[in-house]
Amino acid sequence: MLTLTRFGFSLKTFKLKAVYLTPNKRMSKKLQLIGLLLWMASATAFAQTVTGKVTSASDGAAIPGASVLVKGTTTGAATDIDGKYSLNVSNPANAVLVVSYIGYRTTEVPVQGRSQVDISLEEDATQLGEVVVTALGISREAKTLVYATQQVKASSLTEVRDANNVLNSLQGKLANVVITQGSGGVGSGARIVLRGNRSIQGSNNALIVVDGVPITNGTNGTVTSDFGGLQGTDGASNINPDDIESMTILRGASAAALYGSAAGNGVILITTKKGSKDRLSVSVNSGVTAERPFILPDLQNEYGQGNSGTLIGTSGESWGAKMTGQTFTGTYGSRKYSAQTDNVKDFFRTGLSLNNSIGISGGSDKMQTYLSYTNNTVQGIMPRNDLDRHTFNLRITNNISKKLTTDAKVTYIMQDIKSKYSTGEGGPVMELYQIPRNVALDDAKKFEEINNVGIPVPAAYPVINPALYQNPYWRVNRQENNESRSRVMGFMLAKYQINDWLSVTGRANIDKIGDELESLAYQGTLGLSSAGGAYSLSRIGVTQKWFDLILSGSNKLSDQVKLEYRAGAILQDNKTTSLFASANGLNIPNTFSLNFATNRDYGQGEVQVQTQSVFAQANLSYKDALFVDASLRNDWDSRLPSPYNYMYPSVGASAILSDLFSLPDALSFLKLSANYAEVGNGGQAQIRFNTYSYSQGAGAGFVARGLTQAIPNLKPEIVRNIEVGLEGKLLENRLGFTVTYYKSNSFNQLLRLKLPVASGFYDKYVNAGNIQNQGVEFVLSGSPIKEGALTWDVAFNFGLNRNKVVELTETVKEFAVSESGFGRSATPVVKEGGSYGDMKGFVWYRENDFKTGDAKSHSGRFVVNADGTPLTSLTTGELQNIGNFNPRSTMGLSNTFEFKGITARLLIDGRVGGVIVDGTEQLLAYNGAPAATANFRAANSWALNGVSKTGSEVSAKTNAQAFWTTASGGRYGTAEFFTYDATNFRVRELSVGYNLPVPENFAIKSARLSLVARNLFWLYRGSAVVEIPGLPKRKMGFDPDMALGNGNWQGVSYGTMPSTRSIGVNLQLTF
Amino acid sequence: MKRFSNLFKVYGSALLLCSVVLVMSCTDKFDDINTNKNALSNLSAGQLPFLFSKAQSVATNNGWNYQIAQNLFHDQYCQYFANTTTYFPSDRLVIRFDWIRAAWNPIYSEVVPQLQTLLEGYEAGTAENAIAKIWWVYTFHRLTDTWGPVPYTKAGIAGEGIAYDDQQSIYNDLFAKLAEALNTLNGKSGTPYGSFDLIYGGNIDKWIRFGNTLRLRMAIRISAADKPKATSEATAALGGKLLEVSPDHDALITRTEKGADFNGLTIMDWNEFRMSATMESVLKGYGDPRMQVYFSEAADGGYHGLRNGLTSADMAEPKNKATYNSNKGPRWDKTKPGTLETPSNVMATAEAWFLRAEAKEILGLGSGTTKEYYERGIKESMKQWGITDDAAIAAYTASTKTPIAPEDFTNAPAVSSAPVKFDPALAKEQITIQKWLALFPEGVEAWADIRRSRAFKLYPVKQSDNADLPNPADVNTPSNNWIRRIPFIADEKQTNGAEVEKAVSLLGGPDKISTPLWWDKNP
Repeated sequence: MLTLTRFGFSLKTFKLKAVYLTPNKRMSKKLQLIGLLLWMASATAFAQTVTGKVTSASDGAAIPGASVLVKGTTTGAATDIDGKYSLNVSNPANAVLVVSYIGYRTTEVPVQGRSQVDISLEEDATQLGEVVVTALGISREAKTLVYATQQVKASSLTEVRDANNVLNSLQGKLANVVITQGSGGVGSGARIVLRGNRSIQGSNNALIVVDGVPITNGTNGTVTSDFGGLQGTDGASNINPDDIESMTILRGASAAALYGSAAGNGVILITTKKGSKDRLSVSVNSGVTAERPFILPDLQNEYGQGNSGTLIGTSGESWGAKMTGQTFTGTYGSRKYSAQTDNVKDFFRTGLSLNNSIGISGGSDKMQTYLSYTNNTVQGIMPRNDLDRHTFNLRITNNISKKLTTDAKVTYIMQDIKSKYSTGEGGPVMELYQIPRNVALDDAKKFEEINNVGIPVPAAYPVINPALYQNPYWRVNRQENNESRSRVMGFMLAKYQINDWLSVTGRANIDKIGDELESLAYQGTLGLSSAGGAYSLSRIGVTQKWFDLILSGSNKLSDQVKLEYRAGAILQDNKTTSLFASANGLNIPNTFSLNFATNRDYGQGEVQVQTQSVFAQANLSYKDALFVDASLRNDWDSRLPSPYNYMYPSVGASAILSDLFSLPDALSFLKLSANYAEVGNGGQAQIRFNTYSYSQGAGAGFVARGLTQAIPNLKPEIVRNIEVGLEGKLLENRLGFTVTYYKSNSFNQLLRLKLPVASGFYDKYVNAGNIQNQGVEFVLSGSPIKEGALTWDVAFNFGLNRNKVVELTETVKEFAVSESGFGRSATPVVKEGGSYGDMKGFVWYRENDFKTGDAKSHSGRFVVNADGTPLTSLTTGELQNIGNFNPRSTMGLSNTFEFKGITARLLIDGRVGGVIVDGTEQLLAYNGAPAATANFRAANSWALNGVSKTGSEVSAKTNAQAFWTTASGGRYGTAEFFTYDATNFRVRELSVGYNLPVPENFAIKSARLSLVARNLFWLYRGSAVVEIPGLPKRKMGFDPDMALGNGNWQGVSYGTMPSTRSIGVNLQLTF
Repeated sequence: MKRFSNLFKVYGSALLLCSVVLVMSCTDKFDDINTNKNALSNLSAGQLPFLFSKAQSVATNNGWNYQIAQNLFHDQYCQYFANTTTYFPSDRLVIRFDWIRAAWNPIYSEVVPQLQTLLEGYEAGTAENAIAKIWWVYTFHRLTDTWGPVPYTKAGIAGEGIAYDDQQSIYNDLFAKLAEALNTLNGKSGTPYGSFDLIYGGNIDKWIRFGNTLRLRMAIRISAADKPKATSEATAALGGKLLEVSPDHDALITRTEKGADFNGLTIMDWNEFRMSATMESVLKGYGDPRMQVYFSEAADGGYHGLRNGLTSADMAEPKNKATYNSNKGPRWDKTKPGTLETPSNVMATAEAWFLRAEAKEILGLGSGTTKEYYERGIKESMKQWGITDDAAIAAYTASTKTPIAPEDFTNAPAVSSAPVKFDPALAKEQITIQKWLALFPEGVEAWADIRRSRAFKLYPVKQSDNADLPNPADVNTPSNNWIRRIPFIADEKQTNGAEVEKAVSLLGGPDKISTPLWWDKNP
């Protein structure tokens, strides 16, 4: 007791001295006295606890893990998960806090005697100590990198959310990234392509990496033509945005080289949250978002059911009379013949997504824990289409000793998606859009009748072909595709610091997905009309095992030369198993279980791939300003023939010119980098040997040889990539930019080359081709207003990519991207000399199409038939190029304003160029529903002023029905009429957030309320490429971001779901 | 000491790393990992019959393939059905090669490889080998009758340029194979392939009958092009057993709704096709009892057909709507239970009798009279479709009714004036018409027979959108004003271009739909 007091006394005396001495001689005796009194009154007044919160100046978000240090002392603390700190300051009046955090400018704040000091940190991208997570989860200093990376802040993913897939939230935020979302409703897989398409028959999707290890990101089925189908969910949609700490995008192969296979498409690196030391903190994020269709087809509301201008009350077409409210008798009895302007819009319900997550973080020096639970409940805009997801996440980080640290995480995801629906031809969307313009939804809602034995049968419904199209209400109520998933992802990592320059890290990672897909349809459902109804069930299991061991070290070779190096080994094993059972009719109608099956049909599959790799990487730096980087990886791949291995290098260099040379003052930082890399890919499993497979059929079933000839000498694919980048900061770092040029060539692609089928095989596997992508990326960030109450930050990104199909194979010069061949409207192809994604379809002939030799071109006056209708190549079967589905360039502009605790963010993005074929309009045009069909309804009213094949003028006039039924062709049509320039700009995201004032010592430490909106409105959208004489320009009636599927078959919208506009509220609380 | 300890740790870790690498670099299991365990890598003898089932099923156009392999082309070109939707241009004689390749690709990639394996797996001289040969002949005569020259001797030999053979050499080899197979089968016993034979369940007697009838069919087919060969082959065929009694001898192939092996005609419930005006003219005119079997009542309770080759403007006419016209018969109505399993027609017993009649009429072969054979053909066809009342059949056979004007939207006249009642002066036309009725719905053979016979003139298509045959309705064009073949498919021109060019010279005319095949001669 006494000792303690004495000790305390002496300490205080010392501190008093400090106070006493610092003001120096000018301090009056009076002040000395006050000081003394103060000390006597309250000893603690001088060793005061200072608390506060560190936030980011740009968006007000808390900064966890920031260092708060009392200047000139070793006293310091790190902020907790909410950015809060607590610190004993011995001299609060004069102490200065030094606050620093990676990526932010270090700031000094005088305490001035306050007990609460909130600090707002300015971002500082130039900061030399900035650390970036790179391949395999290796953290490296940004300036030492020889390739371009781009970061995405977690807050920009959690505030304005996309209920379907976190990847969709990246839209507009990254340079040279094209994201399209599958339109299969909630949880649909997305397609994310970095720097262009390079694989013809493989995946072009970026590799998704979580905490250093690639996750399984496959899709259980995607739509590969306008025939349509079900779009499966993907692996990335399971990632919970609330658990994301940071995201880095590695666009080039060199950045990704250490990932080997699939890294040729670039990598999205996601780092998830860890627990923090010190205090326990709890954060709660609750959001609710409402969605409505963003864009629907532009339909006419003048003419109703009927044909050739005559009202027919049972017709599925809208070629009838003018609607003036006249009374008629049709399918639903006596009705008024008047426009039902909203009969498409009102079918969709208001989508609603609820996001509730709780994260608990805490720990000691020895052990930190992060525990989170998130529930997502999403109600899609399509009736009955719902998603329910629970994500449990536990992360434990241990500092067992000074030398040994461990990190472990387990994430469990349970997801149920109900009533997924098909898009394309056989889905409810196309069926809905064709509803005659005078048919009321209330009538359509009577979709079934119960027959004498209690079985529902489809009620009469006016469609053009009742064998192909059904009442959409029956579809959504009497057909279901359900999907449930349970997924466990987890890893354990141990790091041993051997000495101060060498460490070894071992990691084991498991990703296991169990999917159950169930499909059922009531008897009477079109396309699935097995007697008694249809039922099928499949189970797909995907297991990925990953083990790695990495030795890493860093040595100072001299004062100016530093060497960092890593060597390691990786074992990756992926296995997919599937079981499929189908009922082929139900003996007891509409009882959906295999037990009632008429004919049970089963199938099973298993594919396994194992790769074993060793790699080495070294980074040599000179004067901390010149860097050389090299890596080498060797893979042994089970898919390849013995000896199974291939090797690929990467090498690069960068120089910080601003440190090496004297540059103008305005230029504070300038870095030049260049690199070259190769990435390999082992191809496909189980294709080296011909096999015979069994299939169900009459008798005991069939055995048949495979249709594709095996490739015994399979070679790995190689992507070669060069990249040059320049990065700079200007005007005291208020303006920053990076410019990157790249060129990548993809060789030895695994292709299925068509054979003359008379050889006995459809096709064979070959390694061939050279697909080139080159382009430029430009990222600019600036702070136009920084001083005073208002701050304004701007970030702009721009990317352009040019693709060239340099070479295919010796014999084949063109590949169709779709394996199901030419569809109904158009199909993308890969043609030597062309670009990936050139679209082919039927065209409206121009007079020069009939010239020969060099004079032949798709130009000149329109060619019409003798009756005045357009002459299309549908009649000759000649497919022509109608454009390319890829954008010429993409860009995004984000603005962040902060004013007195209110943060507003506005993201505008867009694409220039590329075409999309609106197959939806193509089909609808046959029925007379689109707005354009309302013109020239009268017979002989429409002069196209066309010419015959030989160029003589044709005076015959046509009318809307003759014109559009010819152009449309019904289910197989002339795509050129419906081809749209996909250029568009829109307000992608808007958020306004406010940090609510919270009383001190209140249970809630911070509260942030945000109003968020996505896909607000178009700023510009493209028009149809063919200007039809007499008609006004037709604007896109669909969203190019929505695709039928997330595979390589793109560029056609056909019964695609509308994208949505969403508005929501988000509340973030910290306890 | 500390330094030593550090070094030890460094080397220890390096050693650990190396040992992990060594353990991992165990690629012994790689080939095992890469093997598909849900497929067969090698076939054992016991697995061969499964291949025969496959070859049978595919060669007769099963499941989804049926529509684009046969229904959109052969079945329309013999005018069993007419198109009710504008998006299928094939009825206006435009060939969509991405569809018709379904009549080509599965033959070479799914029938030929299995038959080749069977012909290697079962020694020559075995019944299994002989039946596989008969099936080879069945498969290839249908293929060459659609295109003319096709890859034959080089078929199924892996490579990148597969040569075509001319049709006459193909027929010669097919005849030789048939002769060899029939020789082998005569005197054989047992049930080759057993239940894996989806047509006859391994009944050797029926296979002999099938083989001989096929031989007679092919002999009649080439009768205008190579009469001596036709005579010798027909003589040989008539010397053996032919299909005789229906339904016992009818060649029908079992279908199932398992997998994709259902009866393809059930897709007719998509309402894309209806009874043709030609069928209506004949069936209605004759008061044919098979009409109710082949077709269904239209919405108004009557039976109506529509003209082939309608334009999109024509389709808007009420008379051309699917609802106004007759769909295919109830046995193919997918909405009724079990119809997916309706067996597909491969060869009708009735055909054998009509072939006998033609052998008599054209080649002067056979012991009976043309009239006897003709009437027996009608009778067996009736029996095949469940019409067993002999009196009714006799009345039909004796009927002088002729085809009527179908009252279609074009106001077409009757398609023919030939009555049912045998008339020696009209024998060729009557046989062709009755064979055409009896072959239903096997359009592949019906189209070939119509082309070969030239005795029964179908309606010209309302409109041809194919420049090769711009005006089929022109009465001044010679009698070959009809689609006479399918041009070489686009895929072949892409993947086997040089050989396709050579094949055109084997065709003996331009690669057009209007070029007659080798056996298709003016009478």
